[in-house]
Amino acid sequence: MTTTLARPAAPIVPVPLAEAAPETPSLPEAPVGRERGAVSPSEWRRPHVRFGLGLTQVVLLALLVVAGLGPMLLLAKFAVTPTQDILSTPLAVFPNGIEWGNLDQAWNRVHVSQYFLNTIWLAVGSWAVQVIVATTGGYVLSVLRPAYGKVIQWLVLATMFVPAVVLLVPLYLIILHPPLLGHSLINSFWAVWLPSGASAFNVLLVSRFFDSLPKEVFEAARVDGAGNLRLFWSVLLPMSKPILGVVSIFAIISSWKDFLWPLLVLKDPNIQPLSVRLPAIAGTTDLGVFLAALAIATLIPIGLFLAFQNHFLNGAGFSGAVKG
Amino acid sequence: MSIQISTTATAVAAGRPRRRSLAGWAQNGGASTLAFAMPLLLVFGVFSWLPIINSVVMSFQKTNLVKPPTFVGWSNFTYVLSDPLLWTAIQNTAYFAVLALVIGYPVPLIAAVLMSEVRRFRGLFSALAYLPVVVPPVVSVLLWKFFYDASPTGVFNTMLGWIGLGPFPWIQDADWAMPSLVLAATWAGAGGAIIIYLAALTSVPTELYEAAEMDGAGVLRRIWHITLPQLRGVLLITLILQFIATAQVFLEPYLFTGGGPAYATTTVLLLIYNYAFANSLGGNYGAATALSVMLAVVLALFSLLYFRLTRSWSDE
Amino acid sequence: MQNTKRVAAVALAAIMGALSLSACAGAATPQASAGGTSATGPVALRVVSLLPGSEQAAIDAFNAQVKEFESANPGIDIQPEEYEWKATTFAAQLAGGTLPDVFEIPFTDAKTLIENEQIANLDTQFQTLPYAAKFNAAIVDAGKGADGKIYAVPAKNVYGVGLHYNRDLFKKAGLDPNSPPKTWDEVRADAKKIADAVPGVAGYAQMTQSATGGWQLVANTFAHGGRVQTVNSDGTTTSTLANDGTKASLQMLKDMRWSDNSMGANFMFDWSSINQAFAAGKVAMYTSGSDVYTSLVQTNGVKADMYGLTAMPLAGTDAGVLTGGTMVAMPADATDEQKAAAIKWIDFFYLRKLVDKDRAVADAKTLVANKQPVGTPVLPMFNKEQWTENQSWISEYVNVPLNQMTGYTDTMFDLKLVGEPSQQTQEIYKLLDAVVQTVLTKKDANIDELLTKANTQAQALLDQK
Repeated sequence: MTTTLARPAAPIVPVPLAEAAPETPSLPEAPVGRERGAVSPSEWRRPHVRFGLGLTQVVLLALLVVAGLGPMLLLAKFAVTPTQDILSTPLAVFPNGIEWGNLDQAWNRVHVSQYFLNTIWLAVGSWAVQVIVATTGGYVLSVLRPAYGKVIQWLVLATMFVPAVVLLVPLYLIILHPPLLGHSLINSFWAVWLPSGASAFNVLLVSRFFDSLPKEVFEAARVDGAGNLRLFWSVLLPMSKPILGVVSIFAIISSWKDFLWPLLVLKDPNIQPLSVRLPAIAGTTDLGVFLAALAIATLIPIGLFLAFQNHFLNGAGFSGAVKG
Repeated sequence: MSIQISTTATAVAAGRPRRRSLAGWAQNGGASTLAFAMPLLLVFGVFSWLPIINSVVMSFQKTNLVKPPTFVGWSNFTYVLSDPLLWTAIQNTAYFAVLALVIGYPVPLIAAVLMSEVRRFRGLFSALAYLPVVVPPVVSVLLWKFFYDASPTGVFNTMLGWIGLGPFPWIQDADWAMPSLVLAATWAGAGGAIIIYLAALTSVPTELYEAAEMDGAGVLRRIWHITLPQLRGVLLITLILQFIATAQVFLEPYLFTGGGPAYATTTVLLLIYNYAFANSLGGNYGAATALSVMLAVVLALFSLLYFRLTRSWSDE
Repeated sequence: MQNTKRVAAVALAAIMGALSLSACAGAATPQASAGGTSATGPVALRVVSLLPGSEQAAIDAFNAQVKEFESANPGIDIQPEEYEWKATTFAAQLAGGTLPDVFEIPFTDAKTLIENEQIANLDTQFQTLPYAAKFNAAIVDAGKGADGKIYAVPAKNVYGVGLHYNRDLFKKAGLDPNSPPKTWDEVRADAKKIADAVPGVAGYAQMTQSATGGWQLVANTFAHGGRVQTVNSDGTTTSTLANDGTKASLQMLKDMRWSDNSMGANFMFDWSSINQAFAAGKVAMYTSGSDVYTSLVQTNGVKADMYGLTAMPLAGTDAGVLTGGTMVAMPADATDEQKAAAIKWIDFFYLRKLVDKDRAVADAKTLVANKQPVGTPVLPMFNKEQWTENQSWISEYVNVPLNQMTGYTDTMFDLKLVGEPSQQTQEIYKLLDAVVQTVLTKKDANIDELLTKANTQAQALLDQK
């Protein structure tokens, strides 16, 4: 069970389309305030059930807090603990006071600020490329439907059968010697941005969504004389906000997590993102400062998550609906 | 496995007559359609289709980047197949996959079932469960690596000390390194599965439960006979996806132990990486692509077999 | 209808624009292709500066030297780059063209890179150096191709492997820090004392990862009188990993780890992480190159008082001290302009201070001003007389605790020096990594079996050539 689950890129699974396609252009949301699960409300009132089930739920909550929140709290604590204390008594509560300097050192001396910025740049660029490819591609496959559309669709789907590992070496060599361009893309953000767009999952997600849009709107626009561009820009995109939200969240999260690929193609420390840089300086950075750097690296993903919880959780659940 | 494309309004949506001539085609939106298709075609073409083809081609070549590649037939494949490390890598990867399945498959399911019964604060449960998933994997691995410090003052060892257990070697021991990796990977990934299951669980029609209740079924029977079967589709898909993901595990072995101790955590993907990128004087790209192609074929066959077998069980 | 044509044209133009943007972005990124500009502008030269994560003071010292060089050589623009040579990342960097123009490699790698035509011929430029003929023959030979020309220039840190120890931990355990162990039995005994006296500390630690495990095992082997390869007269090489020296080294590690429990609890160490653990006071003794003190100060913030260096204990006939060093080379596609600039930089930064008094003093002054170590023990690149003279020039600037290193410096010229194995060095080191890791992490490891297996694999590698 790896974190790849949260980013279902290139799994070898043909996604069964069509069945259970939502009729409306909104995402299936977990019904809020569902009246019941397997246990009925009347059963809840029985003391046995209340106690037993309630207890298991409390235990579950405790476990979730310890397992889910615990490591993060520890990280936050270590980020401001002097290194000696971390080494000798890691779980003691600040026996020698708080060391705020760790954060300052991490941000400035270890230049976490720079890698942070690089990570953001990578995420923004990848997001843009993915959105452009998925929306235009989905538009062509789902709305415009040229004769060659089926071929493209099959080719795109075929890539979902291919595990990412197969691309590793040849893609690296293509980045070294790209067709058309005269020089390598190594050490350029483009080496990360462009390949990220080749996500069959995104294209599929978006085209399914477009399929579910009511055709009447398009017909009406056509009748009004809208060309392809106008149809795309003024009619389709505004209706696509939900799916763009899902795609965006996946894109940003998966870019933030990306490790092996940036490791291979971004060799210049100045443009490396956090995920590549942090392991590289682990051996030469003071432990307290290093943990402070780790803490800083988690801030944005966690912050985004807390702010947009619903989107995350619904998006994650939606991906399950797509697969199931 | 056919793709059912919605049959509603093909020509209507496009709104154009059959093409008669190139100019007609261009005038009727064909050129702009092509323009819209360009981003996808270019990006997929250069960064997806081309590498896939190249990888098969390269697996039959010897490439050293300085001189042009030479065709070497099957020798890359025989080299890889006769590498004693390959067998170790396969065993390790299988070990990781099985452990991950045993630990990481039932736990999220049970948690999700319990969580689906929560009536208030379910959002809190979900958020807590999903939190580890949003932490960047590099951070979580580095953090757990620190937690796994094998000296008595390591974080986990300190906790073990509270309950009287001696310091544990964690990743420093060839036998316990892989389970330690699986534990960390499960922590990071379980939340995703929980949320997926939860979403599926909450869409189980409540009438089924009511009907079962009227028939006198207890809670556990309801879960066994209604909840789980309703989840079948999601469960089956998640199983194969998880298997495919764990077959390609790279980050944890690379960052935790570099494949050690004594190759105990060298997985197939780490082996591919080492073939290509870890040799101080030049990579064996032929061997790396040969092994990736073999892995892809194995996974594809496995998936086909899997879907054949589960076709009868699945709802779809 | 005209509309769509226009739209298509605009879209296509946009795509073309994006593509050309990428070309521009590619050119504008920090990684420019072969740096030099035309003859009128300054030649840009990307050079190695310091290890990643080095202290600000070290970076300042380096920049000061760059300034000095640039003012003396206005036609050259030096661009420093952080750099760490690692067996596992070097090849990808070379393939990706991301190495600095003047990059560092260990002695052992030069010949293979030359054979693969991956580094540039620097012979003409090298011969312009006034001291080109004075080099120690064996050292300069490591950078020569089959044609007798120089491709890689010996640069720095010619080291003998020594035993580094933590004086503070010695004191804590009741040992005299001025009498470090002289035999392997003493090393073992001292390690046990320290591990018992100071819980949580490893009395002795050994590198185990990224080919450094094999490197140190081979160093231990030499110190026990063994050899791991024999190059035969017909050009083939025989692997001799299952020799008594290696067996003795592994047995000692096994005893220290499992019987004495004096090696601590963490065993995943490579060159930089063992330095880190040592500087943090978690490791009392370990073996590494004698030049490591510089890095300990520049990167790990070590305090001078705690550091001690002594000679590797030698046991048995034919025992010797492993020696190696760092060379510099340029990628095969370097232009003559760049080569000319490079040899000037190499002369200024690496070599001249060894033979020229003024340069030596100036270099020492800059380093001292920025609190960087001067005088870390290294072996001579030319000959002993030159080295002694050099030491006398900088003696007043030496700020490393040489009096704590006498165990090493007193004997460094007398001990037999053994060069690293020359064939498939890093690959064999990697094989041996696994052997060391097994011995340290599996209680019932069978040393003979492990070595026999490793030997077969090593022989297969050697036969491949």
